[in-house]
Amino acid sequence: MKAFEYVNAQTPESAAGLIGTEGRYLAGGIDLLGEMKEYIATPARLVNVKNLPTTREISKTPEGGFRLGANVTIAELAAQADLPAGLIEAAAEVGSPQIRAVATVGGNLAQHSRCWYYRQRDLTCLKRGGSTCYARDGENKYNAIFTGNPCISPVVSNLAVALTVLSAQAVVWRKSKEVRLTMAELYADAWNNPLAQNSLQPGDLILAVEIPAPVAGVRSSYLQVSEKSDFDWALVSCAAAGSVNEGKFRGVKIALGAVAPVPFQMEEANALLEGKPCNEASANAAASLILATATPFSHNGYKVPIARALIRRTLLNLAK
Amino acid sequence: MAQELNKHNAEKIQGPDAIPVQLTINGKAQAFQLEPRVTLLDALRNHSTQTGAKEVCDRATCGACTVLLDGVPVYACMLLAIEAQGREITTVEGLAPDGKLTKVQEEFIACDGLQCGYCTPGFVLTVSALLAKNPKPSETDVRKACSGNLCRCGSYPRVVEAALKAAGVATASKCEVLTNV
Repeated sequence: MKAFEYVNAQTPESAAGLIGTEGRYLAGGIDLLGEMKEYIATPARLVNVKNLPTTREISKTPEGGFRLGANVTIAELAAQADLPAGLIEAAAEVGSPQIRAVATVGGNLAQHSRCWYYRQRDLTCLKRGGSTCYARDGENKYNAIFTGNPCISPVVSNLAVALTVLSAQAVVWRKSKEVRLTMAELYADAWNNPLAQNSLQPGDLILAVEIPAPVAGVRSSYLQVSEKSDFDWALVSCAAAGSVNEGKFRGVKIALGAVAPVPFQMEEANALLEGKPCNEASANAAASLILATATPFSHNGYKVPIARALIRRTLLNLAK
Repeated sequence: MAQELNKHNAEKIQGPDAIPVQLTINGKAQAFQLEPRVTLLDALRNHSTQTGAKEVCDRATCGACTVLLDGVPVYACMLLAIEAQGREITTVEGLAPDGKLTKVQEEFIACDGLQCGYCTPGFVLTVSALLAKNPKPSETDVRKACSGNLCRCGSYPRVVEAALKAAGVATASKCEVLTNV
């Protein structure tokens, strides 16, 4: 690692002031220190944001929803039984016990690409400002099957996928005030811009995530398929939320992870499921619609049938 | 006024040169002069004398550097030493300060739960933390708890057996443990 200055910020305002142009925020550090050890990131200053007020708490919002402080650890999240099931399931699949003990909600959402061409210090891929996406014609087994730009690095945050279907919002400190971004907005820039990991601008800091108040009868589910049963990235992940009334889907939302630079969702598929019977045929119809525009590369065509299976399983889980 | 002063000092920029760092390692407070970039693993192995935690991947992937932070297993390679101040750091050396091995350590030996031994301090700490929290774990509990520790020699079935024996939980025969993998 390159040498750096270290400072403990006490307020979001001072954190944003301290970060300057060459600094990075430090929470759990799992992703950031990994980049710094590879010299992919060489910040001149780390601003520790773990002491910002209320960012380590899970609380209720005035409307009855949940506010998850950005510095709540993944382990704390996974142990919070009154949160929506899909979110707990997504948290439980993050990393290993040692990682979950220190990694944070904010860090999970803001983590950078895991594409091995991006993480290889001796390459300057498109995402690092070069001119070529090496994954397109290279080893793209773990890459995206949907993208709106030449980079095919997928979003790998489990929480982002679960939070998308829960209609959660990230509370972001931006230019001296709090702004709220939906998960779609939080990642939108990564769809179009190969250099973007998310839509956060320099100096932006995630302070919390807010989940709307649970509605009676609404369930959620998160499933992923990985090469290992524990401590592995998802090859494909899928989250669904909604209710099943008298055997029919109501207000269902579905999203896929690890297949696109953003948590991949399709409003048409959500609309298609409205009022349809909760069975395999409806789930398969939604999966066909979602996957119709997939453009797999040489080594990741296997993601399509996995995504189909996960869409079906998460949707049918809503009736359980 | 005091609050303002605290805040002012808290936001003091430290480094990049070495700064005073206080760590409590195996119950003993120790003073160091470390650059902010020094990881806890580096501080333990190269600035202190506690070489029990091992450096292997140095990327939060293998678990050989596992130490306990306030009793919870963490990767020492991915934690800055300055951020471990004020916490109780336990390395494998801290488990048996008087040279008398713990039950977990004895069972690792009895069950032959290692080959080259490089991953062993990490496994021993992970299992010790599990048993402190869950004294009668199932085999699945042990496997889940150990999922962040890799053993390239492949001693996993014997590690699981050692953990269960240390907890006094009846284990299946070695063959059965293997078929359940």
